[in-house]
Amino acid sequence: MIAVELHKLFRRPRTWTTIAVLNALPLLVAVLLQLTDLAPRPGEGPPFLSAVLTNGTLFPLAALAIVLPLFLPIAVAVVAGDSVAGEAQAGTLRYLLARPAGRTRLLVAKLVSVFAFVLVTVVVVAAVGYVVGTTLFEAQPIAGTSVSGSTLTPEELTGRTVLAIGYVTVSMLGVAAFALFFSTFTDSPLGATLGALAVLVTSSLLFTLDAASPIAPYLPTRYWLAFVDLFRDPILWRDVVRGLALQGVYVGVLLTAAWANFTTKDITS
Amino acid sequence: MTAVIVTRGLVKRFGRVRAVDGIDLDVRAGDVYGFLGANGSGKTTTVRMLLGLVLPTAGEVELLGRRMPRAARSVLPRVGALIEGPAHHGHLSGRANLSLLDASGPGGSWRTRRRRIDAVLEQVGLAGVGRRPVAAYSLGMRQRLGLAGALLRRPELLVLDEPTNGLDPQGIAEIRELLLELNRQGTTVFLSSHLLAEIEQMATRVGVLDRGRLVLQDRLATLTAPTGATVVRTPEPDRVRAALDGRVTAVDGERVVVKGDDPAEVNALLVGAGVPVIGLAPERPTLEEVVLAAARAAGDRVEVRERGR
Amino acid sequence: MVASGYGAARRWAVVAVLAGVLLALPSVVGALPASDADVPAPQLRADALASADVAFSGYAESAGGLTLPVGDRLSRLSDLVSDRTLMRVWDAGPDRRRVDVLAAGGETGYHADGAGGWVWEYEDARATRTAPSPLSLPTPPDLLPTSLGRRLLSEAADEELSRIGARRVAGRDALGLRLVPWAPAAAVERVDVWVDAASGLPLQVQVFGAADVPALDTRYLDLELGSPDPAVTSFVPPPGARVALDRERDLLEQADRRIARVPLPAELAGLPRRTIEGAPAAVGLYGRGVTLLAAVPVAGRLARDVAGTLRASPEAVDDGRGLRVAAGPLGLLVLDPPGEGAWLVAGTVTLDALAAAAAALPPPAEEG
Repeated sequence: MIAVELHKLFRRPRTWTTIAVLNALPLLVAVLLQLTDLAPRPGEGPPFLSAVLTNGTLFPLAALAIVLPLFLPIAVAVVAGDSVAGEAQAGTLRYLLARPAGRTRLLVAKLVSVFAFVLVTVVVVAAVGYVVGTTLFEAQPIAGTSVSGSTLTPEELTGRTVLAIGYVTVSMLGVAAFALFFSTFTDSPLGATLGALAVLVTSSLLFTLDAASPIAPYLPTRYWLAFVDLFRDPILWRDVVRGLALQGVYVGVLLTAAWANFTTKDITS
Repeated sequence: MTAVIVTRGLVKRFGRVRAVDGIDLDVRAGDVYGFLGANGSGKTTTVRMLLGLVLPTAGEVELLGRRMPRAARSVLPRVGALIEGPAHHGHLSGRANLSLLDASGPGGSWRTRRRRIDAVLEQVGLAGVGRRPVAAYSLGMRQRLGLAGALLRRPELLVLDEPTNGLDPQGIAEIRELLLELNRQGTTVFLSSHLLAEIEQMATRVGVLDRGRLVLQDRLATLTAPTGATVVRTPEPDRVRAALDGRVTAVDGERVVVKGDDPAEVNALLVGAGVPVIGLAPERPTLEEVVLAAARAAGDRVEVRERGR
Repeated sequence: MVASGYGAARRWAVVAVLAGVLLALPSVVGALPASDADVPAPQLRADALASADVAFSGYAESAGGLTLPVGDRLSRLSDLVSDRTLMRVWDAGPDRRRVDVLAAGGETGYHADGAGGWVWEYEDARATRTAPSPLSLPTPPDLLPTSLGRRLLSEAADEELSRIGARRVAGRDALGLRLVPWAPAAAVERVDVWVDAASGLPLQVQVFGAADVPALDTRYLDLELGSPDPAVTSFVPPPGARVALDRERDLLEQADRRIARVPLPAELAGLPRRTIEGAPAAVGLYGRGVTLLAAVPVAGRLARDVAGTLRASPEAVDDGRGLRVAAGPLGLLVLDPPGEGAWLVAGTVTLDALAAAAAALPPPAEEG
């Protein structure tokens, strides 16, 4: 079942188009940086971007930071929103369920395939970022500097980049869970995607609002940028752990809700 | 004969509307069961309840002797279905679609998959379509592919909702022949349709649904059994009345209904009286008449669409 | 359309219970009662002051509600008391301490060793060597509950202190100590210091002005006792970083170098003059504890600059007794009589006290 869903997802031309578009923005930024040599003022723009001109090996992180706030969540919401509602709209959902692919199994398989999509996307963005960074900019393969000003060995830098990739992937799971949840309610993939994006926009907006500070720790986007903490020395686990736990809570609750809805729902599409 | 589909007091309410209102289906092994009803009479809802897609408000469904939707996982692999038209992933080939569908549930071994797909594509007449994506298929081809999907695991029961939709007359005849052949080999066929002619040509048993209620359920042969009268076709109906005084029960243009279940006896009388006879046959009610009568008896007129196409 | 039966209600109940439990969990943990201990206020103050040698590491948040109506010249200072600042601390005593001020995409690290310190600014990739200085503009590490709490308690009189129960801070039992300044000029209504029952470390400091919400609230969110790893507290400028010597020109330095000395009164706004070693002699410092006042002679140009910014504030008072603004318990006065020199007076005193100070200050010296 999971293999079938993965097959469906990655045999789709649209999936790869999405990933390609995601890579276009960091590439564009890199080319502009290289041509103009104008790094953003320190403390402004996406994290790590100011350091890229001097060390191209940091570009995978900058690329992730570029796509993290908007592009990546949109792509995830599109794919996850399409997961169930897309099958309903195409009519294939009724055949899948009459096959029978159990409803709970189908839901789990959809989640796993969305997770795989997020992982592949993030890894591709980081990999393309690395290639772009090391070709366009001066690379310092010997070592990197942590945010705290200590020197990181290449092994440490690689390890932390892997952790960051993992963390960004998990951060996107909340978005995926929202989109999947909405996807079980509607037969319109667009509706599910927009629903998830509405949640994200609301969350990002509330995060900047002082009046919303009591609920700020519960906002799904609250700990997204905590991957920067992985590059402090020593690693500041506090927000990373909270971010993981928060995403876990969102995924848990939303998936249970999606399950409660989907397994007791009349399939009339 | 064993029961293949049994429902008891099956009810489905959508809000305040009772789409299906207490029906008791009884489909037996070996049947070609014609499930007849106008659009909106609750046919599709019933079919979806049989397959566990729509959950009943009340009543129960038994498929192949097991309760649905509880036993869906063990029962549905033995059932092939075509529900409200075919649906496929347009960017994939027909073969890939069948392969994915087969892989997404239990009861279809991957070892035999290739062979089975080849066989069903051959059966439904799609063997030569190759690797074209389904998006490039005609409606008729998609319908055939949908049917192929239903046949993939040699099911004991086929539940088909409007299977000839979108096919040309030749295609309809081919599919009909295929279904009858499968039935001869032991497959029970549950055929839901609003086309009287289709049911009349294929079904051995008929159930008629009218606004959520099952108004009729019987063997087609019983429903359309001779009435004991003979139909005479003649250019001179008045002379028939004269020759067979008192036995004529109805005259409709050239068509005269005469009491007596032996056409030879009636013929002898008419020829003896010198009445020209064009045609002569025992009277049988058409399915349309039976359905209309049943619906009228149920309290309302059933809207039956045009016969055939 | 949801079919009734088939456990729909039961399944949704599972969802509701799960969501409820997860939502309630943080508040349940937060509501754990703190156990109070029978420690008298003077003893608790002594414990807090004696905790300077307790080694620990932690994570602190300081939130200020003060908007200082000052321009870019003092933006660092005003950010400090108006923003939310997150800090990581590794403290093994005054000679080995590291405080990182965290930003979303970077950080500023303050490393103290015996002979001064390093300031690391990630965004600029700059490491600045600082010399020890007895008096300088406050930096974020000064807002840590431990530093601020000890500083505020150090000059408190026993009569000003009282006990106020206990609460949990950073998951530890903290005993409350309330400081209510007696000086009539005081703009600080009260200061609540919550002291760790086990170690004496101040865990939370809340400074209240006239309002009910604290003007400054700084607390540890995590705290762990024990000496931090020397590898963590040491600092070596990384390759590729710009290394600089501290050339920050505080207002105070400027005052000391360029302004001629003026004899200052022994008392200002009812507060006695005090001396702090190393502080520029031209600056007049008055008061004690949480009621402090500094009178700084500045150049007229600078004074007019600051005055311009102050006037833009709706709360500014300019009634001929000097241009004054209060931000919470913090008061600011610009006295710019005709001539070259001017006075800049700042402190945790009321506006009336500032007016009294304005009247008592001698005419500023001409620029030398």
